[in-house]
Amino acid sequence: MLKQYPTLRFILQRAGWYLLTFLVAVVINFALPRLGSDPVDIIMGQNSGGDPAMQEIKRVSFLKEFGLAKLDDKGEVVYDSVTNAQGVKERMPVKKGIVEQFTTYVGKTLQGDLGSSFQKYPKKVTEVMGDAVPWTVALQLPTIVFGWIIGNLLGALAAYKRGTFDRVFFPMALLFSAVPFFVFGMLLVYFFAVQWGMFPAMGGFAADIVPGFNLEFFGSAAYHYVLPFFSIFLISAGGQAIGMRSMGIYELGTDYIKYAKWLGVKETRILLYVFRNAMLPQLTGLALSLGAMVGGALITEMIFSYPGLGMAMLTAIQFNDYPVIQGVTLIITTCVLIANFTVDILIAFLDPRVKAGLQMGGN
Amino acid sequence: MRASQISLGMSLVVATALLSSCKPPEGANGGNEGGAFPRSQTLYVAGSQWGDPSSFNPLAETWQPAWPVNDRFNLMYETLLNYNTLTGKIEPALGTLVSKDNDSLVVDLNSAAKWSDGKPVTADDVKFVFDLGRKYPDAASAFAVQFISEIKVAKVNGADRLTFLVNKKDRNNPLVVLDLLQAIRIVPSHVFQALLASHGDTLANVKKLKIDSVPVVSGPYNLKAYSNEKIILERRDDYWGNAALHNGQAPAPKFIIHPIYKSNDAFAIGLQKGDLDASQTFIPRIGTKAKDGVGTWLDAAPFYVPGAIPMLVLNVTKKPLDDKNFRRAMAAAINYGDVSELAVSGYSGKLNPGLIMPTVLEGKYFDSAASAAHAVALGKESAKKILADAGYKAVFKPDGSLDYTTDKAGKKLPTLSIMAPAGWSDWENMIKIAVKAMREAGIDVREGFVDPSKYWPAKPNGDFDILMDKPASNVTPSLPWSRFEAIMSSRNWVECGKSMNENQGRYNNPKAKEYNKKVDSLLKAIPLVTDSVSLKKAYVELNNIFLDDQPAIPLVYLPEQFYQFSNKTWTNWPTAKNSYGPPQLPWVSAGINTLWQLKSAAK
Repeated sequence: MLKQYPTLRFILQRAGWYLLTFLVAVVINFALPRLGSDPVDIIMGQNSGGDPAMQEIKRVSFLKEFGLAKLDDKGEVVYDSVTNAQGVKERMPVKKGIVEQFTTYVGKTLQGDLGSSFQKYPKKVTEVMGDAVPWTVALQLPTIVFGWIIGNLLGALAAYKRGTFDRVFFPMALLFSAVPFFVFGMLLVYFFAVQWGMFPAMGGFAADIVPGFNLEFFGSAAYHYVLPFFSIFLISAGGQAIGMRSMGIYELGTDYIKYAKWLGVKETRILLYVFRNAMLPQLTGLALSLGAMVGGALITEMIFSYPGLGMAMLTAIQFNDYPVIQGVTLIITTCVLIANFTVDILIAFLDPRVKAGLQMGGN
Repeated sequence: MRASQISLGMSLVVATALLSSCKPPEGANGGNEGGAFPRSQTLYVAGSQWGDPSSFNPLAETWQPAWPVNDRFNLMYETLLNYNTLTGKIEPALGTLVSKDNDSLVVDLNSAAKWSDGKPVTADDVKFVFDLGRKYPDAASAFAVQFISEIKVAKVNGADRLTFLVNKKDRNNPLVVLDLLQAIRIVPSHVFQALLASHGDTLANVKKLKIDSVPVVSGPYNLKAYSNEKIILERRDDYWGNAALHNGQAPAPKFIIHPIYKSNDAFAIGLQKGDLDASQTFIPRIGTKAKDGVGTWLDAAPFYVPGAIPMLVLNVTKKPLDDKNFRRAMAAAINYGDVSELAVSGYSGKLNPGLIMPTVLEGKYFDSAASAAHAVALGKESAKKILADAGYKAVFKPDGSLDYTTDKAGKKLPTLSIMAPAGWSDWENMIKIAVKAMREAGIDVREGFVDPSKYWPAKPNGDFDILMDKPASNVTPSLPWSRFEAIMSSRNWVECGKSMNENQGRYNNPKAKEYNKKVDSLLKAIPLVTDSVSLKKAYVELNNIFLDDQPAIPLVYLPEQFYQFSNKTWTNWPTAKNSYGPPQLPWVSAGINTLWQLKSAAK
C-alpha cells in the first residue's frame, strides 16, 4: 500500500518496532524489581521496633497504603486464613497479584499518575523525578555537547595535521578516554578543592544560597560546576577525539581527498570535507548519549553530591521502591528509544547510501 | 577557514564561561556576609539527613520525616525531657522530671512553654500524642501504650503536672517509660486535631501531609526552606526557653543549614575546609585533621565516647552455630585490637568481655573478676584448642589457607556467611578483619555483603547465618538493659521465617529443653530493681550468661554519634577538657544546650 512512499513506509515500520520494544521494556521494568525482596519487608526490617502484633498492624497498613494489598468494596484489606509450617491457622492479608498490579499501573500511568514513592513517602514519583531531572540535565547536557564538539574538532585536526600535534595529542586523548570517571573526579576534588582550594568540592551551588533567577545563584552554580564539568568533559572529549581521529585518517586516505589536495584545495576546506564525512557515526553516538543522558551519571553525582536521577535510581533500587524504579525506567526507556528512532530517521535522510537503499525498495 | 573559525569560537565560549565562573571563593562555603545567610551567623551541620527530605510531619512513620523531625532531634518539636549522655542526668525540656519510681513518673510542664503561634503548651498536647497511640494502632506512639497505662493531669503551682502510670499489667517497665519521655515529640494538639477532623478522622490521611509550611513548633528553630540539597532552619527569637531555661539568652547561630551530601568523603572535606561546623559521620583518621581545626570529644584515641556496639549476631538455629563451643571459639579467634585499629581508625577502646561498656553510664554494672571467670580466653591458639576439644577439625590447604572444617562425626561443615549491607565500609572492614582471623583459627566463615534490600528483610526473619548489627544504637536511660534485651530476650521468640524485632539470632528458645529461664527473668526484673547493689548483681549475672553462651560477638565500641566539629567559624564546643555539655551534637537531646554556648570565632 505504501510502496510508492518508501520513506514513509520505513518510518512507520521503525515506529512499529520501537513501540513494540517500548512495551516489552515496560513489562520488564515492571516485573524485574518484583523478583526481589518485598519493599514492605525492607521497610519493616529497617524500622523494627515494637511488638509483633503492632508490627503486623503496620505491615498491613503499608501494604494498603502502597496499593499492594487486595481491598474489598469498602476499601478494607482482604484477609485469608493460611496454615503455617507448624499447622496453625493464621490470618494473613491477601496481596494483589502481579497482573492486577500491572493493570493498575498501566491504567494510572496513562492518566499521568505514577504514584508515590515508598521510601520517600508521601512524595510523588513525579516530584522525585522533577527534582532530579534538572540536576542530571544540567550536569550532563553541556559536557556531552561541548565534549562532542571540542573532541571532534581536535580529533579531525589531529587526523589531518598528524606530526608533532598528533604525537602529543593522541596519547593525551587516549589517557583521558581511558581514565575512569570516578578516579578523575576524585583527583580533581583532591587537588583543586582540598589542596589548592580553588573550587568548591561538592554541591550544585553554595550552601547559603536559595535557588532563584538571579545573578548570585547562577554565578554560584557556574562556579560549582567547574569541577564536575571537567570530570566528564575531558573524558568524553578524549573518547570523541579518538573516534574522530581514526575516522578522519580513514577519510583522508580516500581518493577524493587525495584528488582535492592535488587540485590545491585549501586546507581548511579539506578539513571540512573530512569532518562532514567522518561525522555520521559520531552523530549517531551523540544522539545515543543524549538519549542515555537521563539515566544520570551516578558516580559523578555521588562524588560531587549532585542529587540527580542516578542517585534517585540507586536509592530506589536499594529499597525496591517499585513506583520510582518504574517511573525512572519509563523516562529512560522513552528517551533512549526516541533518540534511537531519531538517529534512524536522520541517517535515512543524511546518509546517501541508506537513502538510495530505501528508494531501491530495501529497508 | 570556516572550521578554524568554529573552533576558535568554541574555545572562546568555553574560556569565557570558565573565566566568568572562576571568581575567587567568597570566604568559606562560598558564603558572603551580606547574603541571606551570613557565614558568621550560620551553623552548618551534616550527617543526619541523607536522602531527599520528603516530609516534616511529626506524626508520620518514624522513617519518613526529615531532619530535624526524626530520631531524637529536638530543634523544632521538643520532647518532655532530655538525656545527658555525659552525666546520665535527665535534663528539663518542655517539662522537668519531678520523681520516678516503679509505678509512676511525674513530670511538671514548664508553664512558660509556648507554641510558635503563641498558644501555651499544655497537658492536652502531651495527652494528645500519647492518646493517638491508643486510638490509632498505626500511630508512632502506639508502642508507648504497652508501657504507659494512663496519664493523670493535675495543676501544681500553676503548672500542669503529668503523672505517667507504668503499665503494670503489660510490660511493667519504668525504664522504657523514661526512654519514651525523652524520645516522643510533643505536637500542638490544636493544629493536629483540626487536621484530623478535616481528614476524615483518619490518621493515615494526616500522615501523608508534609507539614512543611510554617509549622507550629515549640523549639528554638523553625523550618525556613528546604530542597533536595539542604534543609535551612531559622532561629525563633520568641522561643519560650530563652527566658525560661537560658537566662534570657538566644542561641548563637541565627541559621542552621544541613546540606545533604551523597558520599562519605564529602563530610571529611567539608569539616576540613570549614564548610561544615559539625557532622556525625564516620571519618577515618580523624586525629590527622586536628591541624585543620577539626575537633572531637577527646583529642587523642579513641577520640569518641563509646555509645554502641557493632556486633556479629549468630543464628543459633543453624549448625554449627547451635554449639556454644563453636561460638566461643569464634569469639576467641578474633583480634579485636586489629578490628579497632584497621577498620575504625582506633576509635574503640579496649573491650570489656560481654555487653557492658566501660563508660560512666554503664561501667558501674561491670565486674571484671566475675567476667574474667566466664569470658573465653582470647587468641588464635585458644580458639584452636576450643575447637579441638569440641571435636572440630580444620583442614588447611598446602598454602596454609583454610580448606574446610569438619564436626565431631567427621562431616564437612557448611561455610558460614556474615551478612552486612554492601557499601557500609566501616562494617565491611570490621568483618573482613574478623573473617581473616577466624579462618586462620580454622573456622570456615566468609564475608556476605548483600544489597540493603536483602539485608533488611533478612534481619527480623532470621534469614542469615551471622548478621552484622548494632543493636540499641541510641544512648538512652535504659542502657545497658536495652542492649541485653535486644540480644537475649525470648519474649517474642518465633522460628526463623517469622519476624522478630529482638534476638534475631533466636537464642534461648523457650520451647527447647535447654531453655534458660534465668535470662528472661533477669531481663524482666532489672527495670524494676532500684538499689544499686542488687542492680549490679543482676547485670553481672546476665553478662556472665552472655559470656557462657556467646549468642553474639561484640567487635568494637563506637560512639552513638561521631561527635566532631570545626573550630573555624564556631568555637567553645564541649570536649573532655571543656565538659560543660555532653558529647552529643547540638541537635540531639541534651546536646541542644550547646547552641547557647557556641561563640563566633570572628569575635
